[in-house]
Amino acid sequence: MPPPALTTVRARTLFTPLDAGGRADTVTRRLANAIRLGLLLDGERLPAESQLAGQLGVSTVTLREALATLRTMGLVETRRGRGGGSFVRAPDDADRLERPLRLLSLHELRDIGDHRAAIAGTAARLAAERALASDITTLREHAERLRGATALTDRRRADARLHIEIAATAQSPRLTRAEMDLWSEIGDLVWLPMEGRDVTSAARDHDLLIDAIGARSAGRAREIAERHVAAETDRLLELRLSLHRR
Amino acid sequence: MTMQVATGPPALREGEHLLADITATIGRVVRSVTEVGAAMTALAAAARAGRRPLRRADLAALRPLVAQVLSRHRGFAAGAGVVLAPDALMDAPRCIDWWWADRGSGPGQLEVDLDPDSAEFYDYTTTEWYREPARTGQPSVAGPYVDYICTHEYTFTVSVPIVDDGRFVGVAGADILAGEVERMLLPRLSLLGRAGRPVVLVSGNGRVIASSTARILPGAVLRSSGTAAAAAGGLPWMLISGPEPAA
Repeated sequence: MPPPALTTVRARTLFTPLDAGGRADTVTRRLANAIRLGLLLDGERLPAESQLAGQLGVSTVTLREALATLRTMGLVETRRGRGGGSFVRAPDDADRLERPLRLLSLHELRDIGDHRAAIAGTAARLAAERALASDITTLREHAERLRGATALTDRRRADARLHIEIAATAQSPRLTRAEMDLWSEIGDLVWLPMEGRDVTSAARDHDLLIDAIGARSAGRAREIAERHVAAETDRLLELRLSLHRR
Repeated sequence: MTMQVATGPPALREGEHLLADITATIGRVVRSVTEVGAAMTALAAAARAGRRPLRRADLAALRPLVAQVLSRHRGFAAGAGVVLAPDALMDAPRCIDWWWADRGSGPGQLEVDLDPDSAEFYDYTTTEWYREPARTGQPSVAGPYVDYICTHEYTFTVSVPIVDDGRFVGVAGADILAGEVERMLLPRLSLLGRAGRPVVLVSGNGRVIASSTARILPGAVLRSSGTAAAAAGGLPWMLISGPEPAA
């Protein structure tokens, strides 16, 4: 296998070959996601078409189709001539952050909140029943990491990690997978800059939650987790509505 | 709530046999990964003797050995490999060279994000299976725990320290699915528990590994102190007879 033309480990994940059913829209979605998530950086030059097509396991025709769509979306820019090629154009921050929120309806946001509450609530309850002292130490370390995080990606990572660790403390691979799936879906949204969203309030919730888990208060742990998710969902719903008021 | 020693000597003996057998089985995996660790030590020593830095590409020499571990423990070891201490390699600040067992489509390499600036960064230096051998210099059996990085299952990780010239270079290890351990134990465990009191196998920290009763399930923690019916040789595991589930 040739060395990946893009340098990060993430880029390698991105370029795992597509299934046989891979079509232009799959390629488009994958690249668009990578750009939106910042895996491909603004101004980064994409590999030559034949090479990129090879890495993605699609024909150059399919790749060209995908690139054309990405150009109309404003996510890729193609320059001709010497030093030319296809370049990533990351949307500016506010736009990049808000776009995924715009795509969700209020009822979808509400439903995601319901799902999160079910998973996080049960995970918290079972974690309280099954945690060892060493698990509590690990949870506190993750909570501390979030408190110290300043960049949005760090906060998102630390927050996701803490909730995934709580599900792992519940000793349930299925709940853990569910938390991971939920966070990869909504992680970007949870830390959108918005009113009432700051590390201090999240940290307070997390401290109370870990206290309850450590005290083996299953009912209380569940209640705190559900309230925490409900508050985050409310903020997202408010923000979603406010997009129409500007 | 009290825990009691297994009732009669025959049950006690059978429990001891059961523990001896599972200890031996896991011990064989420990010996296999120790071979991988020794090979890694040899690579590090050779690089040191040749006054050249250790590189990622050097690890390719370990792969036949890792493949051998996986085939030797087929159906039991779900993955194996080496995980290096930060800055052990010149061209990679962190490195996981880990392979999972062939599940029909050939063995595969675990890919994780080791870029500390990334949202998906996986800091393996905080895990029990890395920290324990680093701290004690001894083999360790971590778990059962939910491994959400590699197997995505309830897992034990066996790991041994890799030391070159007194310096900790990393760990060699293997993943064992908790389900496989239970499958191995359950028939005899349920026979043991049939007589009256339930019998439960717990890890050193009180986590239930396998049980003869549906009232105490794997993953639960036995909170009360009690007397062990039998303790394992090399493993900090205990067989407990007649425990009550934690309130």
